[in-house]
Amino acid sequence: MSASAASDRRYPRDCWYVAATSDEVGPHLISRRVLDDELALYRRQDGSVVALQDRCPHRGYPLSQGRLADDRVVCGYHGWEFDGSGACVRVPSQAHVPFGACVASFPVREEPPFVWVWTGATARAGRRSPPEVSWLRNDRYPRWRGSIEIDANFMLLHDNILDLTHLPFVYPEIAPLPLAETPPPLEVEVTESSVSYHRTFPASCLAKWQSSATGIPPDAICEQDESGQFVSPALWVGGWSFRPPGVDAASALRLFMAYAFTPQGPSRTRVVWHGARDFATADDAAGHILERLFSDVFRRRKALLEAVERHWRAGPTWREANVTADAAALRARKIVAAMCDEEQGM
Amino acid sequence: MLEPSGERSPSARIGTSVAVTVRERDIECTVAERSELASGVVSLVVRDASGHGLPAWTPGAHVDLLLTPTLARQYSLCGDPADTGSWRIAVLREPASRGGSSFVHDQLHPGATVHVRGPRNHFPLVNSRHYLFIAGGIGITPLLPMVAAAAREGADWQLLYGGRTRRSMAFVEELQAYGDAVRIWPQDEKGLLDLAAALGEPRDDLLVYCCGPEALLGAVEGACQSWPAQSLHVERFAPKPQPEAAEAEMATFEVVLQRSGLTLAVAPDESILEVCEDAGVSVLCSCEEGICGTCRTDVLEGTPDHRDSVLSGSERAAGDVMMVCVSRSLTPRLVLDL
Repeated sequence: MSASAASDRRYPRDCWYVAATSDEVGPHLISRRVLDDELALYRRQDGSVVALQDRCPHRGYPLSQGRLADDRVVCGYHGWEFDGSGACVRVPSQAHVPFGACVASFPVREEPPFVWVWTGATARAGRRSPPEVSWLRNDRYPRWRGSIEIDANFMLLHDNILDLTHLPFVYPEIAPLPLAETPPPLEVEVTESSVSYHRTFPASCLAKWQSSATGIPPDAICEQDESGQFVSPALWVGGWSFRPPGVDAASALRLFMAYAFTPQGPSRTRVVWHGARDFATADDAAGHILERLFSDVFRRRKALLEAVERHWRAGPTWREANVTADAAALRARKIVAAMCDEEQGM
Repeated sequence: MLEPSGERSPSARIGTSVAVTVRERDIECTVAERSELASGVVSLVVRDASGHGLPAWTPGAHVDLLLTPTLARQYSLCGDPADTGSWRIAVLREPASRGGSSFVHDQLHPGATVHVRGPRNHFPLVNSRHYLFIAGGIGITPLLPMVAAAAREGADWQLLYGGRTRRSMAFVEELQAYGDAVRIWPQDEKGLLDLAAALGEPRDDLLVYCCGPEALLGAVEGACQSWPAQSLHVERFAPKPQPEAAEAEMATFEVVLQRSGLTLAVAPDESILEVCEDAGVSVLCSCEEGICGTCRTDVLEGTPDHRDSVLSGSERAAGDVMMVCVSRSLTPRLVLDL
């Protein structure tokens, strides 16, 4: 067992990661780093997305600096052309394409709003499927979204999000009030590849952002439910629901969140978040509050986790002390470690 | 499926710390199809009764069928991992059944409800370019999806499949589609499996996967003794026969549950698992006889006395994980990550 989350710098390659969001990928080239690979992404005329290794096999110029011509990538250095499979189909300076001239092509699955790429061996892409998140397909719910790059190992993000007992200390003004007193019991439900957790807070007044966003009066005594799921190394989803007095569980006001964590190396992670709400659907103010809140929280999360990462890298490893509230995070680490072991034949 | 749900049962709280209950997801399934595959073998296809998808799995995984409140049995998934709508299992009626296989054969007809936990995989298909699969009887079940994956991914593989008689062997027809890579070996026609010929000389680029009765597993383990440590992967359907207890074994010992902050005494007639549960510490478990691997627990200090059938030789030697349902301690004190 690793001594701490950050000490195991591995990440599973046999996994689908979010390389980009659907609206970022169009009929033009963009570059994205996923794990240890630089990718060039673009959308073909038939709507499908292509992910190629972002390095011309000739002199190593990034293909994303080139241009597209009829679904082919034209390198911006000597004009070599590549099709969507990564095969070189034209070299302007001679009649024949040299044998073996190609770039790696990564399997892509688009499940809007996410463009997933498979970073393992292409033949094994069928072993797993990108996660499906039903509410992300639901257009009726207003959304908020954002992204950030954090100089920290991706498991520090999972650790952070899988245990919210840090909220009263890091973001005291936004933490649900009962969390600061006695955190309610946490129910953790596991499968071999996922960890779900759920807790119901005792009835209390809402934090300021909660009442502003939901429109529930600040002095109303309200029950709250928090739930979350480590879906895969690449995705966390969660929800928050509010039940004002006289409202049953079925009519609770709900927030939905999905955070895609994409490692960009052992010490860097790109986070893309999407949120939705099923209440105040015509109220722009609620949307602005949530948009600002999540951006702010992620900025502070970045500062926090970058400090942990820097400290970890500067000093020797230590044996972490864990408490019961870490149950979900520890389970997630085991899943990731087992995936890595399996790939490495351990 | 991934939406916050509504009502859940409340759980107990211990003191003023964060009380945590950890359990495996339990899925209510409906038997959608049932067919007789071979003499004494039925296959069942089950679906999630709620209509949500089923959890993902990988070749080699098994599920627990919760047949009655006191009867849980492990069965390997033998369908297609890409099918997230249904699971297939195949069950041999064991003449000496402790209740599991006869319950499945007698009670689980189309339309029946059965609760399922899992899947879990302690027999994962590790990446390799060369595989040898060895199945004995109903031990073919976890190997079926492995064979399919190896074939799909272009690996070099062979399956040696032994059974008492051709009539008793399930999936023979399905396997014949793979041609020469599959050798069907009924004992009444061809005798015992020729393991020496199938295995040949030790290689460091070939993984061997074996599932079947204890006699076969023992023979393959013996034949692979001079192979590199990580070459052989086996899965057992019953607990591995245990050698007589070593003298150093502790009759009573102390377990320290680091996360929970508890120190507990384990008496000779108690398991670590029982002692934890009596103290209100939630430990995932299922078979309680050291074969399913659910209660795998990290050992922080002390030396476990392994009595399970799950851990590999190198995992036992490392001593940093143990199955707390059956395993005990060689040291007066064990510190566990619970």
